Amino acid sequence: MIQLDDVSYAYPDTDHFVLSHMNLSIPAGSVTGIVGASGAGKTTLAKILSGFIPHVDGGELSGTVVVDGVTIAEASLADAVSHVGLVIQSPFNQISGAKFTVREELAFGLENLGVPRDEMAVRVAEVADLLGITGLLDRSPYALSGGQQQLVAIASMIIMRTPVLVMDEPTSQLDPGGTRMVFDVMSSLRDSGITLVIFEHKLELLREHADVVHVLADHQLIAHGPSRAMLADPRMEEWGIGSTRFTAAASEARTKKLLPADVELPVSIEDAATVFASFASSKGA
Amino acid sequence: MDVSFSGVGYTYPSGVEAVKGITLDVPSGQRFAIVGQNGAGKTTLVRHLNGIFQPTVGTVHVGDWATTGHTIAELSARVGYVFQNPDEQLFARKVIDDVAFGPKNLGFDDERAAALVAAALEQTGLSAEAESHPHHLSLSERKRVALAAVLAMDTPVVVLDEPTTGQDEHGVRMIASIVASLQEQGRTVIAITHDMDFCAENFDRVVAMAHGEVLADGTPTEVFAKDDVLTEARVEAPQLARLADALHWDRRPLTVDAFVEQLPRSGA
Amino acid sequence: MSSTLFDNRKSVIHRLNPVTKLIALLAIIVTVFAIPLWWVAGLIIVLVVVPAAVISGSGGRLLSLSLRILLPIMLVLFIVQGLTFPGGKTIIWQWGIIDVTSEGLLFALGIGSRIIVLVLASILLVLTTHPGDLMSALTERGMSPKFAYIISSTLQLIPAFKDRADSILLAQQARGLSLKGNPLRRIKIMLPLLSPLVLGMFTDVEERSTAMEARAFGSTARRTSLIPVADSMVQRIARWLFIVLALAAVATPILLGLL
Repeated sequence: MIQLDDVSYAYPDTDHFVLSHMNLSIPAGSVTGIVGASGAGKTTLAKILSGFIPHVDGGELSGTVVVDGVTIAEASLADAVSHVGLVIQSPFNQISGAKFTVREELAFGLENLGVPRDEMAVRVAEVADLLGITGLLDRSPYALSGGQQQLVAIASMIIMRTPVLVMDEPTSQLDPGGTRMVFDVMSSLRDSGITLVIFEHKLELLREHADVVHVLADHQLIAHGPSRAMLADPRMEEWGIGSTRFTAAASEARTKKLLPADVELPVSIEDAATVFASFASSKGA
Repeated sequence: MDVSFSGVGYTYPSGVEAVKGITLDVPSGQRFAIVGQNGAGKTTLVRHLNGIFQPTVGTVHVGDWATTGHTIAELSARVGYVFQNPDEQLFARKVIDDVAFGPKNLGFDDERAAALVAAALEQTGLSAEAESHPHHLSLSERKRVALAAVLAMDTPVVVLDEPTTGQDEHGVRMIASIVASLQEQGRTVIAITHDMDFCAENFDRVVAMAHGEVLADGTPTEVFAKDDVLTEARVEAPQLARLADALHWDRRPLTVDAFVEQLPRSGA
Repeated sequence: MSSTLFDNRKSVIHRLNPVTKLIALLAIIVTVFAIPLWWVAGLIIVLVVVPAAVISGSGGRLLSLSLRILLPIMLVLFIVQGLTFPGGKTIIWQWGIIDVTSEGLLFALGIGSRIIVLVLASILLVLTTHPGDLMSALTERGMSPKFAYIISSTLQLIPAFKDRADSILLAQQARGLSLKGNPLRRIKIMLPLLSPLVLGMFTDVEERSTAMEARAFGSTARRTSLIPVADSMVQRIARWLFIVLALAAVATPILLGLL
């Protein structure tokens, strides 16, 4: 579904490669998490996956990027964006500014594509329901809080129904409840066949929702694996990504020989509950 | 320096009552965190400390000053406020000049200002970026520039609004160590945060807010033990507290050490 | 935050097709400026603007908004023209060296009545027409979507940028920036206020254009619109009628040799 072969990139007027000799293969209908310390080039990779590099940002891109069967460099931007959607970090800038209600804002992309009115109304209602923003439909997008704007921004891309959706820290403005809901929505999109790539810091949620996690460090994708194994990898510390408290607690317990040496380290609460319930019970219980 | 809110209420011109009759005393040197969902009134409350909002009813004191008698600029000598969005304040071409802006406004002599700026850059891990253009840095670095800019003002009270959002693990640890060192210097730290693990591990006292009111006020251990409060404030307990629940433990440890301590010893 | 003056009600006037209202407004403006008789403007106010304002239910807001704009203009106009009109001979009031002439007042009345019509009718349009509906209606009639985008986003982003400017001001004051001082100092303090605003605007424009492309803004498909724009045969006929009336208004003074 997404294939990167030997991709390198330097921004215009620089000879400093943000990403170098990168390979990546993402199967259709999966949720892929990409983690990396800040400054590792996550936003740049998100733009490459969605065609904005090289079409908008310019710069020097080598290697091939194929998304949903389309070779991005050879396609037009309009063609590329019909295959892959991008949710950018700032919800304020994802909002068009041209629409006066959330309802019309959500329909903006569909209007551009010439989707018939009846179908638009159905899709707006569906996506609003999915993200719990039906109550906001008649409000001005600018009268919303940052968190509400972020939900509108995500909805405005989901409604496009692109086969691939790339999200760059889509939950930065949301409180824990909103964040959890967005991740649940991602899982349901995956179940309907959409391929998702998400750039995130929230490791517990990545473990729960991503099938595979890739690590971006030193200008390259240096490791990948199933979400639990990858996120519990001891090297996550040296890569500056860190670990959840579940991983840290189990690792500490293992050092103190309170857990067996070969125990598979947990990342999420479910992993941890299983690990600790089978090997240890509390003296406080 | 201690700060206090006495019966503080704030109603926006639109008629929304964001803060309702809040009374809180924060003693000098305390690490004080406020949690609660978006719209609970957290930011409105702490913005009273530097005079951005003046209470509709009640009074706010910073040391011996009532905020009503002072301008934002005057209060900035006592309260350093790190805003959520660094892009609303960074303006200079060099990080070092931006960080020096506050100390200069406060009229510090060159020697003192230079020492404070250097120390703030060091603490935020930005010494190597002193000559960089702030807008060439990543968002998490820019947030740390904004933090350094306030640290350099050497205020007895420091307010942090969502300091860990957008920070990677490395950044979160750096901010945690800054909170600790501010306390060592006897400065009062007041933070608003959605990161309950950061809150549980680094603060002496937590206040949970909802609908402009205080629901609970106590140590992290006390507040994170109250399920009804957490539900109403719509916050999740820290990761290990939730794990303790899943394991049916009757006590909720908040840190890795406390959790491991609560595990049965082998052979016990 | 309310970004527009739109007064959300459900009257017949509100429900009219925005293009009908726009053409009516243009026809009125053309008429009063083509025919140099103050009572024509007066008739239009009494027969068209006032009834429309009453029906719309927005009359109160129209009055308060217009007064704020018109009072200072009218005061200046009548004082200046009444006193200094060059052809003024008929003195109706005199005090010291000050002469108020009836020619001057009549001239002021002529100009003033047109300005009053212009302001009242324009504000009524703005109060009764949702800017989004106006844009949809104009796009439907072939206005370029990029042009429509520029107009609507300007309407909304200006208040958004004002909010940001306010935040910047607070952030810098919180860093000890004092707004007091002499003019030279005031100019100096503009840098920390303007620089984040301008830099932020550049980043925003760049990011927003990326985000808009991701939402198919570059698509060449024939655009559709979510909100149907109400229209009827009566309105279509009315629009042609307004155009004919406006043309007649332009022709009349020429034919009658009034000019």
